[in-house]
Amino acid sequence: MNGPKIYLQINGMNIITQTTVSSFAVMVILCVAGYLLGRNLKKRPGGLQVITEKGVTMIYNLVEDTMGKHNSYWTPYIGALFLSSLGGSLIGMTGIFRSTTSDISTTLTWALMTSFLVWGCTIKNSGIKTFLKGYINPMNIISDIAQPVSMAFRHFGNIMGGSVLTSLLYTALAAASAAILGLIRSSGIAVIAIVAVLGIAAFFFGRKKKKLALKILGIALFAIAVCAALEYLGAFKEIPILEVGIPGVLSLYFDVFSGFVQALVFSLLTMVYVGMACPPKEEK
Amino acid sequence: MTGFEQIIGINPWTALFTFCNMIITFLILKKFLFKPVKKMIDERQKEIDDMYADAESSRTEAAKLEADYAEHLSSARAERDEIMRDAVSRAQKREREIIAEAKGEAAAIMSKAEADIAQEKKKALNEVKNEISSISVTIAQEVVGREITAADHERLVSEFIGKLGESDD
Repeated sequence: MNGPKIYLQINGMNIITQTTVSSFAVMVILCVAGYLLGRNLKKRPGGLQVITEKGVTMIYNLVEDTMGKHNSYWTPYIGALFLSSLGGSLIGMTGIFRSTTSDISTTLTWALMTSFLVWGCTIKNSGIKTFLKGYINPMNIISDIAQPVSMAFRHFGNIMGGSVLTSLLYTALAAASAAILGLIRSSGIAVIAIVAVLGIAAFFFGRKKKKLALKILGIALFAIAVCAALEYLGAFKEIPILEVGIPGVLSLYFDVFSGFVQALVFSLLTMVYVGMACPPKEEK
Repeated sequence: MTGFEQIIGINPWTALFTFCNMIITFLILKKFLFKPVKKMIDERQKEIDDMYADAESSRTEAAKLEADYAEHLSSARAERDEIMRDAVSRAQKREREIIAEAKGEAAAIMSKAEADIAQEKKKALNEVKNEISSISVTIAQEVVGREITAADHERLVSEFIGKLGESDD
C-alpha cells in the first residue's frame, strides 16, 4: 500500500499529489451540486428541493442540538466539513481518485482548523487573559495538542484502514480463486463438468424452492466451472473469479459506512469543541 | 508522475490546498446552498405562521361580530317590546280618557237638556197661565153676562191660579 501519487515535484517539494487532485475534485463536485441544488428555490418545492431542504434542515437540527440555538450560524461550516469529509472518503470508490481522507495531511488540516476555531472562539468570548490562564495547568497544552492529533488520526486511520483491508481482501481473494480454479482444473474435465452440473442443479432447485441463496450458489458454481474450463482450454490464466461480488459487501462497510460514520464523528467533535468555546450569551 | 508519498507523512502543500479547498467549499456552500435554503424554509414557515395567525384573527373577529349582532338583535327586540308596551299603555290611557270625556259630555248634555226642559216647562206654564186667565175672563164674561170689575177680575184669576198651581204641584 502506497501513499498518494506525486504528480508535480518542484525542488523536492511534492506540490501536487493525488490528494490535491481528489480534494479539488471533491470541492468542484460539492460546489456545483450545492449551486445546482440551491438555485430556483420555490415556495412550493419540487421533489429535489424537498430532499435538499430535508438535508439542510437535518444539518441545522444536528448543529442546533449539539451546539445550541445560538450557534446556528456555524451550520454552513459544519455542513461543508461534513460533506467534504464524506465526499473525500467516498470519492476513493470511483477508482479514479484516491480518498482525500486517507491522507493524514487532509485530516490534520481539518483538525487544526477546528483547533484554531476553538482557540479563536475562546479568545473572542472570554478574552485573551482567560485563554492564557487556561495554560497555567500544563496538561491543557497537551490536551490541546492531543485533540487535533487524535481527530486527524482517527479519521485517517479508519479510511486508510478500510482501503488497506479492501486491497488485502482483493489480494486474498485473487489467491483463493487461483487456488480453487487450479484445484478444479488440475482434477480434469470430469470435475469441471460435475461442478457445472452441480451449479445448474442448485440454480434450478433454488428457483423451484424460491431460495435466493441457492440460486446465487448455483450461478457461482457454474461460473467457477466455466472459468475452470476456460483455464483448462488455455484461453485465460488465473481468472480472479472470487473478486466478483464479495468485496462489494465489505466495501459497503469499510468505504460507505465507515466514511459516513467518520464524517459524522469528525463534524460532531468539531461541533462539540467549538460549541464549548461558544457558550450561550447569558452564561458568559 | 514521480513516485509515491509515504503513507503517514504530512505534506504542507497538500495541507495548504486542503485548507483553501475547504474554505472555498464552505463559502460557496454557505452562499449558494445553506443560506438560500434556510431563508426559503424560514420564509415558508413565516408564511404558514402568518396564515394561521390571519385565520385565527379572522375567526375571533367573526365571533366578535356574531356577538355584536346577537347583542343588537336582543336590544332591538327589547326596544320593540318597550315600544309595544308603551303604545298599548298609551292606547289604554287614551281609551279611558275618551270614555271619560264621552261620559262627561253625555252628562253635560243630559243636564242641559233637563234645564232646557224645565225652562220650557216654566215658559209653557206661564203661557198657559196667561192663556187660561184670558180665556177664563172671557168665559166668565160670557157666563156672568156682565163686565166684572177689574178688581174682581184680578181676585178671581189669582184664586184660580192659586188652585191650579196647588193641584198641579
